[in-house]
Amino acid sequence: MASLAPAARPGRRRRAVLLVACAITALFASHLAGADERRYTIAFANLIEEPGVTLEATGFTGRDVRESLLLAARVHPIDLVLYDNGRDCARAPANVEDAVSRKVDLFIQYCHSADVNAVVAEKLKAARIPVIAVNEPLAGAPLYTLDNGAAGRIAGDALGDFALRTWRGRPLEAAIVGSLAGRGVPERAHGVQERLRHHLPAVRITRLDTQGNPAQVAGLVGRFLAARPGAKVLVAAMDDTTALACKSALEAAGRLSDAAVVSHGADRSIRGGMSERKEIDPNNRGSIVLGSVAFYLDRVGYAVLPLALRMLRGQPTPPRTVTPHRLITAANVFVEYPPYDMQ
Amino acid sequence: MKLASILAASIIALVSFSTAFAQTDCTKVVPASPWGPNDETGATNRVTPAVTKAAAAEIREGKVIPMSYILKDGVPLFGSRFTKTILTATSLAPGGALGENQLTYMEDTWLSQSHVGTHLDGVGHIGRKDCYYNQTAMGKYINQNTMTKLGLEHLKSFATRGVLIDAVRVFQAAGKLKSNPACRKACLDKGTVITAADLQAGLKMYNVTLREGDIVVVHTGWGDLFEQFPAQNATFNSGQPGIGKDAATWLISQKIVAVGSDNWAVEVIPGEDPKEAFIVHNMLITDNGIHIIENVRTDLMADEAARTKRATFFFNMTVPRAYGLTGNFVGIDGIR
Repeated sequence: MASLAPAARPGRRRRAVLLVACAITALFASHLAGADERRYTIAFANLIEEPGVTLEATGFTGRDVRESLLLAARVHPIDLVLYDNGRDCARAPANVEDAVSRKVDLFIQYCHSADVNAVVAEKLKAARIPVIAVNEPLAGAPLYTLDNGAAGRIAGDALGDFALRTWRGRPLEAAIVGSLAGRGVPERAHGVQERLRHHLPAVRITRLDTQGNPAQVAGLVGRFLAARPGAKVLVAAMDDTTALACKSALEAAGRLSDAAVVSHGADRSIRGGMSERKEIDPNNRGSIVLGSVAFYLDRVGYAVLPLALRMLRGQPTPPRTVTPHRLITAANVFVEYPPYDMQ
Repeated sequence: MKLASILAASIIALVSFSTAFAQTDCTKVVPASPWGPNDETGATNRVTPAVTKAAAAEIREGKVIPMSYILKDGVPLFGSRFTKTILTATSLAPGGALGENQLTYMEDTWLSQSHVGTHLDGVGHIGRKDCYYNQTAMGKYINQNTMTKLGLEHLKSFATRGVLIDAVRVFQAAGKLKSNPACRKACLDKGTVITAADLQAGLKMYNVTLREGDIVVVHTGWGDLFEQFPAQNATFNSGQPGIGKDAATWLISQKIVAVGSDNWAVEVIPGEDPKEAFIVHNMLITDNGIHIIENVRTDLMADEAARTKRATFFFNMTVPRAYGLTGNFVGIDGIR
């Protein structure tokens, strides 16, 4: 009873009320401060993890994409749950069910099948789990995607600029070389053509389709060159493997000095590291491979995870975010891709 | 006509020359040294007699713990670096001995770059564009053989207190240790970012507070791969655990002299931002004159600290006062 008595006094009551208010404020403040520290569990279902299988008609693999998420997650309050959707996304529905059972906070879906994505969207909607789609739309989800058309236009500009600077007034021919029916390649090729026509309205553009087999390049390019003995040649390779094969074909035909090549992808096969000299390298500025348009599939995580955090924190998220493609050349390769390992 | 040609050629040459050697305004790129515009020393300015005297109190038993690796051809090296030792032993050949006392001798030729094995990065090692420590426009201070500013000859003493932070134990205690299967003992895996909070937890583990002039040594366990050379060179070289930008910022605020670790870059590789190159090197060396010591052998001191619950020691390291060098291999002992 004695302990109640002081509380009955008006002054002490006011102080008690003040103390309680302070305590509530402090609790609320600490809750708010802690809000940023909350860790989120994010699931990522990769297109395919099979070794050697390349993605999006580039030289990047599923491992490149997965590792970019793991590396990017290090500086965010994120725990990742990783899945492989497998060939034709056969495992995608089971992956979603597992993620739902784990009560993940957000799901990132990378699958090319619109039908599968529709099923995935339904399941996630029912579980009230927000989703981000990668490189293929998914109903109601923000999309992070390559922009093949933009990439092609960058390549076309690079070739057109080079021709105008170097070969103005000379007979010119252009070739678009690669697996022309590959995913995103028609848009890529269209972008190249659009900008070549802009810079060089009279240039004749020939399409050389390797049908997915880079070994075809030697024959296709060899015949192309043989039929155009006096021409300077602009080559838009649709991927880096094709670009390197084109260079070999030009070398075999003795036409290196007649050609300029621009590629798409900028994967590890074409750009150098600290000790591994590759075609695009600061010490190889005279290469006929002028550059390769970066597709940054090895940096998907760095782009997608910040989007995921924005969604989870209730901040506005753009419905579509595209890869900021840019041309990687000998002059900027170490800026865009600083070599870091000791190999 | 001839004169005009010569004049034109001279102008072209002059323009090309000035373009090639265009210098950056380094006052906008690198901070000024707190030790004045003529400072070429960097953070060893902090090793005052009082700092050394206080550090000497760490020597209680006279126990010496090696903290450098054996330097031998075949240890993992960065990029295209190399070492090659050649022994001259001609006097051992029959008839080669000298005098009645039959004196023989041997000596070595050591063909090596300076940043190999356990080594110190000097303040002239890392810059931003052509700007180095203390706003030095380095283009003006290099020749074919050496730097003419910021060389190791300007260093003061490293006789100070060493503080070991056992990041392996920190990560174990936090339940977040992800080791690498190639490590024979527990190690942090490559790409693991050590934050300021991790460093602080490591200090708290041994009840240590950093003081100005300390040298911080971070044990990650990654050095176990170095010890397995050449078998694990590729794994060792492929990346590493290390401090991130947040940890570097905090260490800078503690006014330390150097930070070392049992790996080849001290900082985390791959870095936190894929478009930044060795950014912690820039932060520590270029901007603050704080040295980095790479490939420090930390496992023995980590064991000692765990056994004795004491993580501080007298840091005994000598660096050749080699004129104009950007760094050099060193020998380190921790004395307790």
